[in-house]
Amino acid sequence: MSRVLEINHLKYKKNNKLILDDINLELDHGKIVGLLGANGVGKTTLMRLIAGVNAKTAGKIKVSGIESKAAIKSCVSMTYSIESLKDNQIGKNNRIKVKDIVKFYLDIYPDFSLEKYQEIAKYLDIDSDEKLMDLSTGSGEKLVIALTLSRQVALYLLDEPLNGIDIMTRKKIIKSIIQWKSDESTIIISSHYVTEIASLLDDVIILKDHKVYEVSSVEDIQNKSHLGIEAYYEQVYEGGTNDE
Amino acid sequence: MEYIDNIPIYLQIKDILYRKIISNEYELGSQLPSVRQLAVQFSANSNTVQKALKEMTEENVIIPQRGKGNYVTEDVSIVSKLKDHIVTEMFDTTYDKLHSLNMNDKEITTSFNNYVKQREQDHE
Repeated sequence: MSRVLEINHLKYKKNNKLILDDINLELDHGKIVGLLGANGVGKTTLMRLIAGVNAKTAGKIKVSGIESKAAIKSCVSMTYSIESLKDNQIGKNNRIKVKDIVKFYLDIYPDFSLEKYQEIAKYLDIDSDEKLMDLSTGSGEKLVIALTLSRQVALYLLDEPLNGIDIMTRKKIIKSIIQWKSDESTIIISSHYVTEIASLLDDVIILKDHKVYEVSSVEDIQNKSHLGIEAYYEQVYEGGTNDE
Repeated sequence: MEYIDNIPIYLQIKDILYRKIISNEYELGSQLPSVRQLAVQFSANSNTVQKALKEMTEENVIIPQRGKGNYVTEDVSIVSKLKDHIVTEMFDTTYDKLHSLNMNDKEITTSFNNYVKQREQDHE
């Protein structure tokens, strides 16, 4: 079986400014991988490149062995912010409700499972009659997670799914990821709550200075450094001040 | 679930499960929850839970049954050995700490007996 994700010599420039350089990555099926790095290092950009939303400057990205950007879109499910849903054509209508967004997803994604969505929505207490514009940050994030996980794909990209929400909801979102992740699929998750997601992760990818600084299993980091992931990650950044 | 962040999660999960077996929360011969259920309960990755269960299987504390999940051993001696092991581990740490306070074995024993008496009184 081919790997779920293969990236070779990926480069991305924006307005002639180098954002990502010589990114090489290989991920297997059935993993949960943390994507760590300081603000502005290119975590969201990397996810958008993998999802085929942004166009790469150079290099190769293959998802489940597929290279075509259009085909990749059907193998990857990425979290889009609630703001981007509101900015979307359908979301601009003030009366639009959660259930209308669900219908929109059902219409545009053939792999969207309504059954799975309903299970997750029930677990996360998502009210389908609530208006999109009235959603709190926490409710918005819960909706985004439920929509993203309800697509049945090989690769999920969760970009900061825990931002701006209270600890109880964060814990519930983490549990919902575990509960509804299929065994074969792989999840890449970025979060500043490194310690909170540590138990969720098989591996971490640390981005630094436009590149992949390290890919390692959480267990190897703990065994080798005797540090937690957060402390290790801080050390990587602090130790590297010389070359910045 | 709160984990110690620099110790592999699977070891911590194994430890919690062993304590549940020793305390009889998971009875001898009973079926353990599924991997997915344990993973959600422990807020941990399924692969991590699998790894903990694999070691528990290798240590003969649980027995996988094809298509039916994992069962706690019915062998009392295995669980009793496990209990001895965990108790010894707990005492190791405490004993070493007390020794480092320059207490001798007699003082440690007396002090521990007093402590137990005090706890009993507190309980009444």
